Amino acid sequence: MRPAAPGGARPAALELNIRGVSKGYPNGVQALKDVTLTIPAGMYGLLGPNGAGKSTLMRILATLQEADKGTVRLGDIDVLNRKDEVRKTLGYLPQEFGVYPRVSAEEMLDHFALLKGIGERRARREVVEALLRQVNLWDVRRQKLGGYSGGMRQRFGVAVALLGDPKLVIVDEPTAGLDPAERVRFLNLLSELGENSVVLLSTHIVQDVSELCTRMAIIDRGEILLEAEPLGAIEEVRGRIWRSVIEKSALAELEREHAVISTRLLAGRTVVHVYGDAAPGPGFEPAEPDLEDVYFSTMAGHVGRRRGQPEPVVAV
Amino acid sequence: MKLRGIFRFEIAYQLRRPWPWFSVAVLAVFAFGVTRVGLVPVTLSQDFILNSPFIVTTVSVLGCQVWLLVAPAIAGEAAARDVHTGMYPLTCTSPVGKAEYLGGRFLAAFVLNALILLGVQAGSLLAVYAPGVNPEIIGPFRPVAYLAAYGLVALPNALIATTVQFGAALRTGRPMASYVGSFGLFFLSYPVTLFLYASRMARPQIALLSDPIGVFAIMNEMMSNWTMVEKNVRTFTLEGPMLWNRLLWIGISLATLGFLYARFRFAHRTANDLPGRLLRRFSGAAPDDTAVRAPAAVSVPHAPRSFGFATNLRQMLAIARSSFRMVAKSPAGLFLLAVFPTLLVLVMTIELQQWGVPLLPRTVELITRHLTAPITDPLNYWVMVPLLIIYLVGELVWRERDARLGENVDAMPVPEWVLLLGKYLGLGFVLAAAMATLTAAGMLTQALRGYHDFEIARYLQLLFGFQLPEYLLFAMLAFAIQVVVNHRYLGQLVALIAYLLVVLSGLLGIHHHLLVYAASPAWSFTEMRGFGGSVGPWLWFKLYWAAWALLLAVAARLLWMRGRESGFGTRLRIARLRLDRSTAGIAAATAALVLALGGFVFYNTNVLNEYVTDDELVRRRAEYERRYGKYEGIPQPQRTATNLHVEIHPDRGAATIRGSYRLVNRSDVPIDSVHLEPAFYVETRVTFDRPARRVAADDELGHHIYALDEPLRPGDSLTLGFDVRFEPRGFRNSGLRSNGAGQAILQNGTYLTGSALPVIGYQPMRELWSAEDRRRHGLPRQVTLPPPGDIDPNVAAGAPATFEAVIGTDAGQVAVAPGELRRAWSEGGRRYFHYASDVPIGGMPVFFSADYAVHRERWKGVDVQVFVHPGHGKHLERLLRGVRASLEYYSAQFGPYPYPFLQVVEQPGNFFGMGVDGSGVITGGEGFFLLDPEGDGFDAIFEVVGHEMGHQWWGTQLKPAFAEGGGVISEGLAWYSAMQLVKNTKDREALRRFMRFMREPNPWPPMRTGLPLLRAMDPWASYRKGPYAMHALSEYVGEARVNGALRTLVEKKESSLATTIDLYRELQAVTPDSLRPLLHDLFEVNTFWTFDTKKATAARTGAGTWRVTLEVEARKVVADSAGKETEVPMNEWVEIGIFAAAGPGEILGRPLYVRKHRIRSGRQTITVTLPHRPARGGIDPYNLLDWEEGDNIEPIEVEGSG
Repeated sequence: MRPAAPGGARPAALELNIRGVSKGYPNGVQALKDVTLTIPAGMYGLLGPNGAGKSTLMRILATLQEADKGTVRLGDIDVLNRKDEVRKTLGYLPQEFGVYPRVSAEEMLDHFALLKGIGERRARREVVEALLRQVNLWDVRRQKLGGYSGGMRQRFGVAVALLGDPKLVIVDEPTAGLDPAERVRFLNLLSELGENSVVLLSTHIVQDVSELCTRMAIIDRGEILLEAEPLGAIEEVRGRIWRSVIEKSALAELEREHAVISTRLLAGRTVVHVYGDAAPGPGFEPAEPDLEDVYFSTMAGHVGRRRGQPEPVVAV
Repeated sequence: MKLRGIFRFEIAYQLRRPWPWFSVAVLAVFAFGVTRVGLVPVTLSQDFILNSPFIVTTVSVLGCQVWLLVAPAIAGEAAARDVHTGMYPLTCTSPVGKAEYLGGRFLAAFVLNALILLGVQAGSLLAVYAPGVNPEIIGPFRPVAYLAAYGLVALPNALIATTVQFGAALRTGRPMASYVGSFGLFFLSYPVTLFLYASRMARPQIALLSDPIGVFAIMNEMMSNWTMVEKNVRTFTLEGPMLWNRLLWIGISLATLGFLYARFRFAHRTANDLPGRLLRRFSGAAPDDTAVRAPAAVSVPHAPRSFGFATNLRQMLAIARSSFRMVAKSPAGLFLLAVFPTLLVLVMTIELQQWGVPLLPRTVELITRHLTAPITDPLNYWVMVPLLIIYLVGELVWRERDARLGENVDAMPVPEWVLLLGKYLGLGFVLAAAMATLTAAGMLTQALRGYHDFEIARYLQLLFGFQLPEYLLFAMLAFAIQVVVNHRYLGQLVALIAYLLVVLSGLLGIHHHLLVYAASPAWSFTEMRGFGGSVGPWLWFKLYWAAWALLLAVAARLLWMRGRESGFGTRLRIARLRLDRSTAGIAAATAALVLALGGFVFYNTNVLNEYVTDDELVRRRAEYERRYGKYEGIPQPQRTATNLHVEIHPDRGAATIRGSYRLVNRSDVPIDSVHLEPAFYVETRVTFDRPARRVAADDELGHHIYALDEPLRPGDSLTLGFDVRFEPRGFRNSGLRSNGAGQAILQNGTYLTGSALPVIGYQPMRELWSAEDRRRHGLPRQVTLPPPGDIDPNVAAGAPATFEAVIGTDAGQVAVAPGELRRAWSEGGRRYFHYASDVPIGGMPVFFSADYAVHRERWKGVDVQVFVHPGHGKHLERLLRGVRASLEYYSAQFGPYPYPFLQVVEQPGNFFGMGVDGSGVITGGEGFFLLDPEGDGFDAIFEVVGHEMGHQWWGTQLKPAFAEGGGVISEGLAWYSAMQLVKNTKDREALRRFMRFMREPNPWPPMRTGLPLLRAMDPWASYRKGPYAMHALSEYVGEARVNGALRTLVEKKESSLATTIDLYRELQAVTPDSLRPLLHDLFEVNTFWTFDTKKATAARTGAGTWRVTLEVEARKVVADSAGKETEVPMNEWVEIGIFAAAGPGEILGRPLYVRKHRIRSGRQTITVTLPHRPARGGIDPYNLLDWEEGDNIEPIEVEGSG
């Protein structure tokens, strides 16, 4: 185990330590393989494709699933065995959730506030009001949740997750299915969180992480491939990403010869990103790397723990 | 073809799921069990054939009922799966026609259901042909029986029910809505039809139409209208009302299908149900969202949080409130809290009548008869409540997961017990609200009847104190099952099976209430008895089960599903984590409580009292017959005098009887031993007035033999003294009051029968009578009842004896024993009464002690005493009118009333009718005194008293032999007497009203195919056809002659038993030769006459008179016992009657002309000239031969005048 964070002037910033967590399902799928992560206070992004094991990990952290092996500690709390303690300080926004359609947002949030242990009615009312204002639902608080749009529901979910000053906030794929405007609004809201709490955000959308998170991990098929700070990771690949615009018919040949990490269509032609320590050849120009390049390089095995076992190209 | 593709896909899809297979298995097992062990054999009173068409059909009908509860998911899935799973956008946009889509899906559901219903036939075939059946009760294999049952019962039901289930699911988009449709059908089929049928709101044929799946209609038709012979051989076919019923409902289902087809749209589904529409109305349009903007910097105040017990309680209450609101707003809640009570008000207003007389809506009556039902033994529609509980528990446990909020809530810092108990409490609130609405329903019913003595405290006490706990106990079981099973529908099914096991535990041979969840002896409450000591046993058992419920709650808390881990192993591991010290402590304490309470109950039921199962009782009866049957009929001394001193101690529930019998040897041989049978459950000691040795004492079977040192010579007598004690010890599995006379001694309302006294000789009445029981115990088959001709005409009647009793009770009560009251006095703080009859009386003596209001009068030297509960005095007038009129008229007609006393006693307990408890004693249950004594119309109190008074001649003086036709002698003649009484002391109009009441199909629907009256066995023949025939005869032969014949019969058979042959002989003696054929038709064969007045006209003649022309039709058939009717030619005298216009309150006006005409079969015209203007006329106006009221009399059309 890692020693506690040095310093000590500030109240010990909380840290979530995940050590060797594995999880298999009865159908043989190994969802998590020996996952070890250290997640400091602040916004942390867990990036990975669908089925990578993100949600499994999130649910284990949110006390909703059991790990086969490993330990998880939130500060002093043994997350896997002291679920009731974790829940007192947990804010969880599941990947997918519904509402009671015939209940108003205010009523519902008040109910959740009580479940979170805010017993006193007046305090509860104040908290509910503040949260509804914060997530911008105050004006529609009297309306039934059944009539809310997807984004509004998602913001309502954030309000629920924020009840009771959680020290551990787990947000599982929150932006999937939101329209661009809603997504912006939602990320703005999330960015308010996580000064003193551990906020773990899982997503398969690279921008979510690049826009929000100070640290991140890339996970695929149950394994952590990369643990890094987004900006640092981008710097790591700077000068190794090359770009070329080709005809679609030429793609197959290019893939045989070069380490193509991503392809994408642009006005009918194909934009190819290739990973290489040196310029792959004519027709290629150095590309300004972004987190997406880091992600695909990692997935393709050029960066991170999978290095040396390159993967086939991923098309977006 | 697409239809076929959709059809095949649906079938294949559903066949891969467990539900259809499971349903088939359930039905097969059900049919097997019902045929082999359960319901069907016991529904038949006599011998039966296991594979008779009757049983095959009955099992099919019952199977359909089970199918309704099990299989709606099939049609629901087919109709609404696409919408439910969100697949519908794909389906809707595919190029499939509406007809193909709906048709394929519906046909698939129908075919699957039809196949599933084959499980019933498979089960019943297996029950017959699998090993283990007595081959004697297997008849020839009749494929047509199974085909008819399947084709005429199961298939139409499959169509009708599938339509409704499919429709409900399709319209709502929810597969489970099909259950609602199913329940609706069930509700319509049983309770609703029953009400319509029994309440006379509609004619029976119409009422039967309302039964969509034929449960009531078919069962009623076959059960009550088929003879034994028919039940074994007759093939079920659709005819009469059943045919119309099936056609109507098939028509309705086809129309429904058409409607569904017409209204179905491949379109996006908005919430278009009623709540959805309301939701939109009240919440306006979908909320507008504000523009994209950065969130305002709002600081969320720090709120104090606590996770202590107080917060937990608050959270639990919040969950309870929220659960309550959810249920109360759901259709199921609406049904339970609004529709059900409303229906009950309707039911109560209909059912609050007996024999056409309104009943007083006393609070206790409403609650005990209409508003409560033990959960372990629900009567008809009360099964709804536990079913709703099962359903609602599923809804509540799955509420968060249904709303996809499960993970949000599961991650909240709330202990599992808060979630569990919160939901449980929410359901508890719902059930409490149901009790409140039931209270309101009861009071509303009372108010509607103009009754204002509401007794709200009684409502609260009985509904909240007794009914609610039963439901709460069951709800906890349902919760625990739902939590453990962790699959909603499977959980509901398991709960349903658990409930069926509870209800049917008796049939499965489990009788001890310690083994059947939530079971207990029933509590009871009547005005006279109050709880009558029933609370204690009830409470101890319920406490025991409450401890179990607590244990279940602990288990449910440990296994409460939280998060995603649904594997049972993982859940057990999590449960171990949750099992902290306090939980373990509670579990241990609860287990200790279960043991302690169970131990205490067991000590009472099995140690303090002997616990005897029904099987054991049957075995003992068999053993009794085997061992002592050889003593049947051996000469034994007969009782000629009984002398008793009875001490009743109501407060202790104890009694002692000291007494003696004077026994005389009436046989021709000396008697050397006396066979004596003491009563069970009491302590009996006997002494002889001469040296006697006990040579056998079998207490288990209850047979003792005393050898007399000196045989009792013919004509000699001896005195047998005895001392009987009863003192209650603890309580029994059946509560306080059953198995044994001594149990009936209560604080107020003791009803102690002479069965507590020892009897002399082997008692054939104790033998097993059920053919199946006898077979099982290797006893020879018994002829059910001998034909009357086989009875030795000289068999002596059980000799009556003189009777004398001193009976003592508490100072505040009146004690009653048979006899005239000689003296009453107080002594030592107790009251004593001396009753005696110097005239020998028969029957079993009965003793009462209660706070009675006593009325006493004399009728020609007869001591007439009436004992009623204070407050029932209003009934006295009508009651006494009936008593006096009967004494007067019957004495004049059938011979003098022989006893020096006549007692009418209100019998404590809910018994509804009146009965005769031996010579001179008539009892009416507390229920009888609910008859409104003030209404006009049919005077039931008078008529029923007249009937029971008739029994003082028929059944008491003239004793029927235990043979076929016995019921005609006692019941038939008693009703005939009552008819004559009404005709002579009131008028023909009153008799007409009386006969209308007798014609009611309830409780005895007409049975045209029984044995002829001389050998009649079925109740309709005894209670209805017998009196009709006697009435007809009295009108044809003459009342004086017929009554004279009866009087002769009483005299001749004073000391021997009578059969219908004896009666017939006396009737023949007074019938002139010309009427002998009629006598023959009425008694020797099963003859039915049908008359119909087709046309009735009148015209004024020149002489100022009226010429009436009647066109009448006549038909006469003879039915044999297999139900075959043969038309026979008719040529006999039948009354033609013409009547003046009816006055107010009359049915017919003054008779202008009543004379017998010679009537042949077929249509004929009769012309009569009268001096007065006629209004109505027709054939057989008094229903002498045609016993159905209908078209005998028609209004007369007057020709050529304005």
